Amino acid sequence: MKTATRRLIAAVGLLAAAGAARMPVEQAMTERFREDGLLREPVDVATQKKLGQGFFAVSLGGLRTLVATIWNLRAFGYFEGKQWVKLADTYETIVLLAPHSDYYWDTGSWHMAYNASVDYRNREHLPELRREAEWRQWVERGTAFLEEGARQNPDSWRLWAALGRLYVDPFKLIDYEKAAEAYHRSAETGNALPYVRRAEALCRARIPGREDEALPLVRELNDGPRGKVPTLNCVRFVLELRADPGIDRDRLAAEVFGTPERAWRELGDFYLGSKDYPMNGVRTMLRRLERELQIPDEQSVLRNP
Amino acid sequence: MSADLVRPLNPRRITVLAVNTFTQLVRMKVFYFLAVFAAVLIAANFLDLPVHAAPESAGVEVLYSIKSSCTGTMTLFSLVMAIVATALLIPRDVEDRTLYTILAKPVPRLDYLLGKLLGVVALIFVSLLVMDLLMTAVLALRTNAVVEQQLHAAEHFGYTAEMKAALEAETRQLGPTWNLQAAVLAIFLRAVVMACVAMLLSTFSTSTLFTAVVGFLVLFVGFFQADAREFYFSGSGTLGRIGALLLSLFLPDLQSFNVIDAIIEGKLIEAGQLGMVAGVTAFYFLVYTFASWLIFAKKEI
Repeated sequence: MKTATRRLIAAVGLLAAAGAARMPVEQAMTERFREDGLLREPVDVATQKKLGQGFFAVSLGGLRTLVATIWNLRAFGYFEGKQWVKLADTYETIVLLAPHSDYYWDTGSWHMAYNASVDYRNREHLPELRREAEWRQWVERGTAFLEEGARQNPDSWRLWAALGRLYVDPFKLIDYEKAAEAYHRSAETGNALPYVRRAEALCRARIPGREDEALPLVRELNDGPRGKVPTLNCVRFVLELRADPGIDRDRLAAEVFGTPERAWRELGDFYLGSKDYPMNGVRTMLRRLERELQIPDEQSVLRNP
Repeated sequence: MSADLVRPLNPRRITVLAVNTFTQLVRMKVFYFLAVFAAVLIAANFLDLPVHAAPESAGVEVLYSIKSSCTGTMTLFSLVMAIVATALLIPRDVEDRTLYTILAKPVPRLDYLLGKLLGVVALIFVSLLVMDLLMTAVLALRTNAVVEQQLHAAEHFGYTAEMKAALEAETRQLGPTWNLQAAVLAIFLRAVVMACVAMLLSTFSTSTLFTAVVGFLVLFVGFFQADAREFYFSGSGTLGRIGALLLSLFLPDLQSFNVIDAIIEGKLIEAGQLGMVAGVTAFYFLVYTFASWLIFAKKEI
């Protein structure tokens, strides 16, 4: 046998032996990286079909986020053209390419739940029922999209907070219980801005039949730093009254609001502008305050129903 | 003195060959690619889409754009350069007859191969370093602008100092960080593996074109090698498993380097994890270089 051939066989043998040695090591490394979220699980056949040619982009490391950026630009074109189905499909693909970028989940959900839904509701050439059905479908699709994003990125306080905002939006499908839970998950990440816990407390106070469960959290926040904000003050006042209807109201108002003027102003705004909060004792208190402060009838908040 | 009698792995000799290779490649005007990179970088700055973002998220999409465009361009450049430049070197030396001049001197073939390989690696390193510096500078400027914009909005919405500090810290995580440098390092390491593969191919191929084409095929299949390996360990069917085994034994696993995407998305990579990627790269470097030498050492030129 020629020396060159012998050496070629030796090289092949070396590669095979080295390959056999590294295979289990690389397998363990891949599994560990997947557990740590650094590598993705293999793409299943259904997803491969959905991605089409994009599947190869998903597989080529280092280019996935680039492809996601380009598709995000493409999605913006669909947004401008109000091509909502294409837009939604594009975002479904984008989040497969960049599943840990909360920006894409948030933006995709916003397009679906806010822009697409409102666009359908405003299409006057469609029958009323169809408009409502489309509106509901797009709100639900956007919500489901955001829920999936939060599920895949449980440490993203932004996604949980965005989900909370969506559930509590008065122009969408309100669900205070889910909103409170989403805000709670956001706060639990430890990175959320302080308003998130306040939002959780305000949602808990509006869960029908379970309003009183919010009181401990409302007390904690209201007594904490920068907790003396109008809505939280009012909710504290109302929930304390619900918990103990015989409580000294004047003393409670003084503790919560400080001055009668502030109590009248904040409770008045709360009475007129809030939705779905319990209102125990608010009218009575406002009446007493207006008497005490000698508010003229024409300025009375109680003139309004 | 015959080259066979000279001790191989002489650092000075290898350095001379590497520097010569580096110069040779620079003369091929590969750095013109940096102009393309600069254009991509400038374009990425304008991908500032109007969105709904709350004050705490405003402007972050442009940071994602800059990072993904730059690392994507770095990936393309480094891989193309690793395969094409390495594939070009030995045939060009034969064509120019430089190879005969070198090997007529007491230069072991292992040193020659290492010198060539390290020259390419140095070129990729320098190019990535320049691109990285450009990206970091632009990203730093843009991050500052985004932070300023967010803090302005936060001021308007009455955020407290504590909230503003948290917001700034979070946005700066999307800017130039050591974690992002780890992604660039992973790009470099993957290019080193592909340069080694191209070197191995060029030791037995007869043309640059063949080496480049097969090199790109190996690159493409390498991204799926981990799937083949997984199939070998857990799949069924003898023939399929044999095929998967062959792929896994001889081709590099390039999926390990896909940590780049997770890093760009903000995942933190630990030093130990980066060390594992570097360790695998070193293993490929040693094995493929040694295999290249086994074939090239007695090859008739």
